[in-house]
Amino acid sequence: MLTKLSFRNMKRSLRDYLIYVLTMTVVTALMYAFNSLIFQNGLTGYYELEGLMEIMIGLATFFIVLIVAWLINYMVRFMLEKRSTEFGIYLLLGMKKKAIARLYMRENMLLGGVAHLAGMVLGVFLQQVLTAVMYSMVRMEYHLNISFHPGTIGMTALCYGGCYFLALLRSKRRFRKMNIQGLMNYRRQNEEIKEKHEEARRILLPAALVFLLLFWTWFGRLSSTGETVVFLIGLVLTIYLFYVGISAWIICYVRRRGRGIYQGQNLFLLRQFASKIRTMQFTMGTLTSLFTLALMGASIALMFSEYENTMLERKFPFDMQLFSDDITADFAREKKLAEESVQIKEWYQYHIYTDRDNQVNTWMLTNLDCWGTMYQREDGEPDEEKIRQMLENENIYYLYDTYMGLSDYNYLRAMLGYGQVSLSEDEYLVQVKERLAGEVEGIGEKLQIKGAPGKYAAQEGTSQKSAGQEGTTELLRCGGILSDPFSQDGHNGADLIVVVPDEVLERMEPYYTELVAQFMGEPAPDLQVRMEQLNRQDGRFLTDDYFGGLCCGSDNIIVFAELCLVRDNLIPQVKYMLAALIVPLFYMGLVFVCVAVTVLSVQLLSDSAKYRFRYDVLGKLGLGREQLGHLIQKQLAAWYLCPALLAVLISGKMILFASERFVLMTGVPVPKGAFFLKSILLFLGIYLVYFAVTDITFKRNIEQKQVS
Amino acid sequence: MTDYLRVDDIEKYYGNGSNVTKAIDRVSFRVEKGEFVGVMGASGSGKTTLLNLLATIDQVTAGHIYYETTDITELSEEALSEFRKTSLGFVFQEYNLLDTLTIEENILLALTLQGGGKKKIEKECADMMKLLKLEEVRDKFPYQVSGGQKQRCACARALVHHPKLLLADEPTGALDSRSAQTLLETFSGLNKSMGATILMVTHDAFSASYCSRILFLKDGKIFYELLRGEKKRGRFLQEILDVLSLTGGELSDAD
Repeated sequence: MLTKLSFRNMKRSLRDYLIYVLTMTVVTALMYAFNSLIFQNGLTGYYELEGLMEIMIGLATFFIVLIVAWLINYMVRFMLEKRSTEFGIYLLLGMKKKAIARLYMRENMLLGGVAHLAGMVLGVFLQQVLTAVMYSMVRMEYHLNISFHPGTIGMTALCYGGCYFLALLRSKRRFRKMNIQGLMNYRRQNEEIKEKHEEARRILLPAALVFLLLFWTWFGRLSSTGETVVFLIGLVLTIYLFYVGISAWIICYVRRRGRGIYQGQNLFLLRQFASKIRTMQFTMGTLTSLFTLALMGASIALMFSEYENTMLERKFPFDMQLFSDDITADFAREKKLAEESVQIKEWYQYHIYTDRDNQVNTWMLTNLDCWGTMYQREDGEPDEEKIRQMLENENIYYLYDTYMGLSDYNYLRAMLGYGQVSLSEDEYLVQVKERLAGEVEGIGEKLQIKGAPGKYAAQEGTSQKSAGQEGTTELLRCGGILSDPFSQDGHNGADLIVVVPDEVLERMEPYYTELVAQFMGEPAPDLQVRMEQLNRQDGRFLTDDYFGGLCCGSDNIIVFAELCLVRDNLIPQVKYMLAALIVPLFYMGLVFVCVAVTVLSVQLLSDSAKYRFRYDVLGKLGLGREQLGHLIQKQLAAWYLCPALLAVLISGKMILFASERFVLMTGVPVPKGAFFLKSILLFLGIYLVYFAVTDITFKRNIEQKQVS
Repeated sequence: MTDYLRVDDIEKYYGNGSNVTKAIDRVSFRVEKGEFVGVMGASGSGKTTLLNLLATIDQVTAGHIYYETTDITELSEEALSEFRKTSLGFVFQEYNLLDTLTIEENILLALTLQGGGKKKIEKECADMMKLLKLEEVRDKFPYQVSGGQKQRCACARALVHHPKLLLADEPTGALDSRSAQTLLETFSGLNKSMGATILMVTHDAFSASYCSRILFLKDGKIFYELLRGEKKRGRFLQEILDVLSLTGGELSDAD
């Protein structure tokens, strides 16, 4: 009998909480699809960082299990509360608490089981989509392959079961504590609106807004751990106390009989909203946190995604490029290795030169945004000592400035399909990374680069003269700044290289040697690895602090410090590495938003059933069907927008700050607000789906009553 | 006297084919301005259906209902909403006050939905609260006041915009006898002092004895009509009970 009852109750819950069941189905499908990346991604054996994806998905799963467990726990409590009278009647009829608990748990397990099974089926299809996306990300061809891996199924079931275990753990205690009187009065207690100390509570709203203003003003300037911790605590308090404040503020406004309440349905809307927020204030805070985390996660994922889409090809313009700090290097072994792997179209070996000066480096360290005032004295002049220490100890800029001859430069440009450039004998040009092009416009005014030995200025006034070692030498003038992709993560200079007429190189010395190659086809997938093995054989073990003499430039966040770059090997590797970050972030973002919107929807739909009479009354007070429809939409919009807007306000500052740094450090060519906007649009889609479903169901619930 | 409400040969059927139920069967009556009319009947006699038809929340199958010169059976859905807003007031057995609004705000809402300036709304609300002795509980929520106070608030909300007709569906059904008596006296008072026209559905003879006229429904038809005239209430009550004994006294609110 009890089995039949629990099955019937489950069917009823399935109908009443369809949104929750659908969310659990989607969550299972997401779990299945993402878990499949651990067990059956088909990319095993191709990547150096193979375990990374598994670790990251595992980490994301941990947080997802916690959040989904919270959702289940919330829903179990919520349903228990809604059905308290029913359980009271069971007790009255003589059922034991244990039996009721078992009945309720069984219902929940059945409900979860239905969602899980449906989710698994959906997950198989979602897995195909996700795998296809992954393959296209790492440039591999994907063929539809529907297969079941016991690992994927097992892990999904385990995660799902884990969520239920965590969620139901505490619910049993709730049953132990309940009594008939308590259950019968449970719903009534909840309906009571307690308004106390509203005037005092009201202050929390302006306080929260002031904190948010401070947060926007000061976030980028936080320098110490102490300050950060204080701000984080303030932020958490703001998130939770904002709702206490806004509800008290509305209550006070209504009590003061503010002008707005006398217009149309505003009085009803304001009171409804304040009352709902008051009873849900803690949950609303949690939902805001979930939205904030989801927006931040998605924005970060979008940043890296944008990077791999726009920057990777530019990072590796040559098919292969090798570095050696030995100026006599002939790269014979490397050439042989490459020739075994792929047909070579063209080799080109050249030197990077130096004049053993560091005026270019000094200018960069004191003028680029990314360095700020770090290498300036208080009077704004360069801090020579700090600069020296930096150049000696960090592998960012070479100890001395780097130069390239015009003929080498033009040869390389031709290899890359760029147009040729020409320089007069008193000119130099600056080849810089694209992201720094705007920042180095003034570099020509400061640099004093000497011309070729013994050359004199051809035209008075267009050049400067200074005393050189070999008599009076012409100072070159800047003939232009170019920013075509040119492999400037340490190979063709670090961030920047100065290109001078070949004669000028006569007074310089070779600094290091470079070899570039263009291939006729695609190299073997392991060429990069074999080149690195060669380096290791030579005792050149690259570590976090030692890059084999290579200095990688000021790029941050994603840094390429490799003595050997094989483009077609590296791009999939980097994409795989980035995917290991992007995929779990989207995964978490999707689940967090789905969970949060489900809670919002379930609350509203439950109200639409419980408080139908409110709309019935409004109908009898003369609100037409259309007006009621608008009223419900306004109510839903306020309810949905409130936590989302607060999350946008909070995450906005952090995302904009992070985007600004990301664009600055990586050179991704997009406006800093683009990631934030895109992540909002992404979640807006999910939001709108839930909003539309809730709106339709809400109105249907109310109309059902009117018909009946 | 002019007809204020005219019900002309209305019918209401539910179901279709062979399964048709006649809830209202060719009912006609008139109500004059300022009248306090009661509708009584046994379970299933069609009294709540009749109230719903008059309240415009259900549509007749045939016939016409005129409020002065307006035939509400011909109005569109939007026009009916507007009509309800301006011309009708409702009082229900279960009060149906909005639980998130205070007593005063429940009355205010009815006025703000009509539109109008802040001062006018406040004045009308204050007058009504004074008339129905609700001032002491104005800032309380419905759950904090007694059943009688809730029902008085529902009356205030129904009458505050001066409707053409106040429709009351078992208004004393959830009240204790003392509160019920107070409420009925309030109805009588409003009927006399404000000239409010009231149509009340009830199964309770005591409540009905406050009316000036009673329509008795049976199987969807008016089978008897009782006028109070100048009779004392006690006498009128006895007459009502006599009529009820003819029907077997089986009155309830289950229809």
